Amino acid sequence: MTVRRGVLKGFDSATYTATVQVAGSLAVWLSSVPVARNIAQAELVAGRSCAVVFLEDGNPKDAVVAAVWT
Amino acid sequence: MRALTPTLLEAQKQPSAQPYVRVTVSDRIVALTRLRWERLYTGGETDRYHAAAMPGDGSLLRARVEPSTSTIAYQRVANPGAGSAFGSWSTLDSVANAGLALAASGANALLAFVPLNGVQVRIRESSDYGASFGTVQIVAGAGAFIGSVAAVLKPDGTAFLIYAAGSTVFVLKRTGGTWGSAVAWPYSASQITGLACWHSGDYLLAIAGVDGSGAARLWAAVYGDGATQAVDTWSVLRDVAQADAGSNVTFRAPSLAVLDTYRLFFVESYSGSVAYDRPQWTWFAPSQSFAANAWREPVPFDLNTAYGLALTGADALGPAWLSMPSGVWRAPLTTAELDLSDDVLELSSELRRDGGRARVVLRNDHGRYTGLSTGAGAVIRAGAELEFGAGYVTSAGPEAPAAAPRFVIGGWEHRSGDGEATVTLFARDAWSLVERWRARRQFAWAAGTDNLFQILRFVFGRAGIDLINTGSSALASALRPAFTIHPGQDGRRVVAALLSLTADVVLVSALGASYYEPVAGATTYRYGGDHAITRARFASAGRAVNRAQVFGPSVVAESFAWDDIGDQFDRLRQAHDLNVTTVALAQDRAAALLRREELSPELGELVSPVNCGQELYDIVAVTDEGAGLSDASFRVVGIDLRFGRRGRPTYEQRLLLGSV
Repeated sequence: MTVRRGVLKGFDSATYTATVQVAGSLAVWLSSVPVARNIAQAELVAGRSCAVVFLEDGNPKDAVVAAVWT
Repeated sequence: MRALTPTLLEAQKQPSAQPYVRVTVSDRIVALTRLRWERLYTGGETDRYHAAAMPGDGSLLRARVEPSTSTIAYQRVANPGAGSAFGSWSTLDSVANAGLALAASGANALLAFVPLNGVQVRIRESSDYGASFGTVQIVAGAGAFIGSVAAVLKPDGTAFLIYAAGSTVFVLKRTGGTWGSAVAWPYSASQITGLACWHSGDYLLAIAGVDGSGAARLWAAVYGDGATQAVDTWSVLRDVAQADAGSNVTFRAPSLAVLDTYRLFFVESYSGSVAYDRPQWTWFAPSQSFAANAWREPVPFDLNTAYGLALTGADALGPAWLSMPSGVWRAPLTTAELDLSDDVLELSSELRRDGGRARVVLRNDHGRYTGLSTGAGAVIRAGAELEFGAGYVTSAGPEAPAAAPRFVIGGWEHRSGDGEATVTLFARDAWSLVERWRARRQFAWAAGTDNLFQILRFVFGRAGIDLINTGSSALASALRPAFTIHPGQDGRRVVAALLSLTADVVLVSALGASYYEPVAGATTYRYGGDHAITRARFASAGRAVNRAQVFGPSVVAESFAWDDIGDQFDRLRQAHDLNVTTVALAQDRAAALLRREELSPELGELVSPVNCGQELYDIVAVTDEGAGLSDASFRVVGIDLRFGRRGRPTYEQRLLLGSV
């Protein structure tokens, strides 16, 4: 399990998933990352910093955006 | 096991044989020539659209858009080299501020360009190696501005044009002297920022642009000419580089050539802070099809240009040429090879399943290797390829296997003292290239897209290593996982994660790497009979893991080694994997997990005279009365080799043995 820093680039409220720019990736974002349901939709603003927990480091579906901050 | 000649096979079994060690260094990277670009010309021409081609007489044809007059500036340099008149241009037709193309084959050359009206493709052709051109022909018209064009000429006179009108790509062919109709591609984009093509069996394409989502893309594609792709059909578009919308990164000005291998230049532009327009270059091995798309991680080129570099050359013998309006570069496609064999005092190597290293001590009392930046020794530099073949002097003369292990030189040290001067070279095998590759960005595969081999081939390709599938397991073909590589991750960690999903292995060898399932099979060699054992050690141990559980989202499967459970009770290993979505996958994963654990321990070692053909993962039979073994099978999981001329001469190998 690893935790990676990122920047929120987009949020899909229907699937409650986010597009995240993981730190170090200048031009390519990781899409469809599940977001913790305890984070309110209003807080998921593009440009905010976020922390992504990768339960299995190699599987982007086995991950969750666990924190968002400005 | 590497193939050996009968004489070498016979010699290595003799109780007394004369060693022969061949050690060479060359400026190659995993068997491909490292291009050392030498700039031959620096001028003051304005950077704008340009093209280059090389007809059969080796002359260099260059064309560029001269923005001050909106004309084509053209030059032909008959014998290009240092001091050639690369600054001398003649003026041809009026031209739009758009891409133009040059193609050549034998004595024929073709110049394709967009006139001032911006909505036509015009060509002029030459039959005297580009010395003169015929009249202008209009071969295509469009309802939108034509921004990019690329061209190919084949020896049979077939001409192939690809151009972008607005955001639509068209192809147009002339066969039998007659131009056909332009046909639009079956894809869509919001912008095309550059095109390149080369003929090698099929029409190989590089297309830079922006897709419908606003993401910048550099695609590779094949337009069929009957080799690997049906005539006049498009392959899928495969990403060479990509950048999401809003990232401020775009790609443009690709240039593609197949000389010694597939080589591609393109420009990556960043409009953020600090902005750049930086050429990048990449390649992959010719043993792969172009569709494999196994490009090395692009390497930045020391230049800032928005219009890129045009790559061309006559053939695989080279040299390769790079051109931009104000510059010309040349790089040999062949490399000098330095034979160090006579100066080798000591050689040792260690090959393991996940990496190998070599150390070569050279005499330097003659001072030959004192100044390694000049002279014959200049080929010894960090990154150069060290190749050694361990052999014997046989009845046919000195012999060593042709496919010898190759290593990458990492450094060296000079030593002096006790009346001796030496140079020691330190090198590691191609696994070190995997280890040193760091992901520059996020890479992601959606579930159901690429299988394990295809993802591994991508990773090895990024490290510049040609990975071939020589017999992977059914599980490796069936698993198409959701997978991601994070920025900053190294290739070794990624490969380890992928290999852990099956029992399949990667064997790094002379020309690249192979991926396969190490199934129990026939022995490839026998020790203890004709081939003497100097000393040996054989161990037995219970399994570290004898029960595996695999958990998918809605499935659990187990695999057991019952005999061992009877002895040690169960020793459990669990795996949680959201990619395991079926019972069959879960069962196969559990079985593979146990199999991988079974293969992992080292069970002994065997020291013997050198078997010149021995490779990792070979299955060998061992007969050793003292240990009570008769034709017992082991898998070779490590190979050490020692050769020494100083003091007591040494020439022996040590095999690490594992389970079959």
